[in-house]
Amino acid sequence: MKFVEDSRIKISRKVLALAWLFFALYLLFIMGLSYLLGIRPLIWGLPRWVAIGNIVVPAVFVLLLILVAERFIPDIPLTEDEDSEQEE
Amino acid sequence: MNLAVVSFLAYTALLIAIGLWSYRIVEKVPISKYEKEFYAAGRGLGGIVVALVIAGGLASAGTFIAGPGMCYEYGYSWVLINNFQIFMNLLLLAPIGIVVGIVARRVNALTYLDLFKARYQSRAIIVMLAALVTIFLLPYMATQFVGAARVIAQMTGMGYLASLALGSLVVLIYCVLGGMRGTSLATFAQGIIITIGCLMLFIGTVKYAGGFQRATEIIAAQDINFLSPTMGGQFSPVFAFSIACMTGFFVVGMPHAMLGALTYRNTRALKKGIWMGGILVFLWTFLLCMAGVIGRSIKPDLAVSDEISPWLAMNVMPEAMSGIVLAGIVAGIQTTVAAMAIIITSSIAKNLLKELKPGVSGQQMKLASRWTMGACLTIAIGLALFQPKLIQWIIFFSIGGLEAATFGPILLGMFWKRGNQWGAISSIVWGMIVYALANTAVPQLRLWGSHPSFVSVCSAAVVYVVVSSFTARPSDETARTFWGQAREAYK
Repeated sequence: MKFVEDSRIKISRKVLALAWLFFALYLLFIMGLSYLLGIRPLIWGLPRWVAIGNIVVPAVFVLLLILVAERFIPDIPLTEDEDSEQEE
Repeated sequence: MNLAVVSFLAYTALLIAIGLWSYRIVEKVPISKYEKEFYAAGRGLGGIVVALVIAGGLASAGTFIAGPGMCYEYGYSWVLINNFQIFMNLLLLAPIGIVVGIVARRVNALTYLDLFKARYQSRAIIVMLAALVTIFLLPYMATQFVGAARVIAQMTGMGYLASLALGSLVVLIYCVLGGMRGTSLATFAQGIIITIGCLMLFIGTVKYAGGFQRATEIIAAQDINFLSPTMGGQFSPVFAFSIACMTGFFVVGMPHAMLGALTYRNTRALKKGIWMGGILVFLWTFLLCMAGVIGRSIKPDLAVSDEISPWLAMNVMPEAMSGIVLAGIVAGIQTTVAAMAIIITSSIAKNLLKELKPGVSGQQMKLASRWTMGACLTIAIGLALFQPKLIQWIIFFSIGGLEAATFGPILLGMFWKRGNQWGAISSIVWGMIVYALANTAVPQLRLWGSHPSFVSVCSAAVVYVVVSSFTARPSDETARTFWGQAREAYK
């Protein structure tokens, strides 16, 4: 099976790794803080682990996602006709 | 007729209008391009619509009815569990979005089974997956109708049957007539209504409860475990992690989520779909789940926990606003049904029919698509007549089953050149056997209290690798089509 691999497939693999790493980090933070922070003192009237682990952490990661998606996923053509794709 | 009913009927009329308008567009398309238009909306969806199609498809009655219901029943522990699903757009579009986008255009794949056909060249896989998708998605779809019917019944005071008819008829119209075009247009309108509805419900509930502090104190007085991340040990971190895998890492195995990957226009739309989906699902999940927990401080003795969101909408909000909130909840459910209807129809009417009757004409295919979609929705409505009580567990069961069957063959099939049809078939069969055993005779397979999907998906992926390694490599043509440079792909 000898052929030259399409460079876009390599990019696709990197994007897969990036997405899984991002989600793994999110899980680490949300689960770590939720299980370790405890209930009191309340923050904004909510248990401490809810306020930090389940409001601050998801909000920060959602904002980070904009940066990650726009910065690290390149614009690449999906068809073989690159010019027409880039015009869109 | 109260204002809530009027605003809900206005929303329903909007969806019917979208269905009829889409029908006119689809009907104008030449028969040679009909399939591409009906199943993939001409492969021209922009970022916002892609975000909504995936987020709306994956965020089902589980998010809008059962999620708040579980938070009402088990306190803040389920806010944590529901928060795992926030990045499902990322975990679907980033891992396979680009490669699916490239290959789908190369082989003119309009459905996810077209991709399987191109990758594995196996009739057995198409038949097995078409059957499994139908088996798992129909009850899933039925739970969506149950959720919608309960909301409408609460709001209008109509009986369950009449509510079921009203909630499902409108989906039937815009899906059957408009296909993916109608579905995407409806999903766009519904996404706006869902977001507004969730915001209004959250603000109305917090205000009515007298703020977070007061609500938390009342809930703690009822049972201090409501404030615990494990509900006093009832939901272990391992169980939570297995749910995180099911609604996160394994989400590529959800066939109805694949619609977004098959229909987006370009990588700019893909990127927008990823981050906009994150924002939307976070808002929907967080706002509704928090409303569900806080709702316990307002109404602690609700007989059916799943009814907390419609109850709050009807009792803590002004009448006209409650109609918009309920329309938002029903909209969230309808988007899922629509995505599932497209997937089941494409599996049966396009892929299975073509496998069994290769010479089928374009006109016959068009008729088969509409009749199959109508039949599937009718069966799901029929199943909804049984009115199951705990829809969240049925939803998890269906998601787990789909992922156990398809996760390995989709993800590994897209990236691992050595993977072949024997690996895929073994993986599907193994995944189904382990999943069935873990759910019935051998509960010990739920390792350390994890959800049955966890061990099924992981072991099925291992089986895919092992069997593929010891059997013949896929053809050179397949390898070039999937991973070769453009010129090589067409050799």
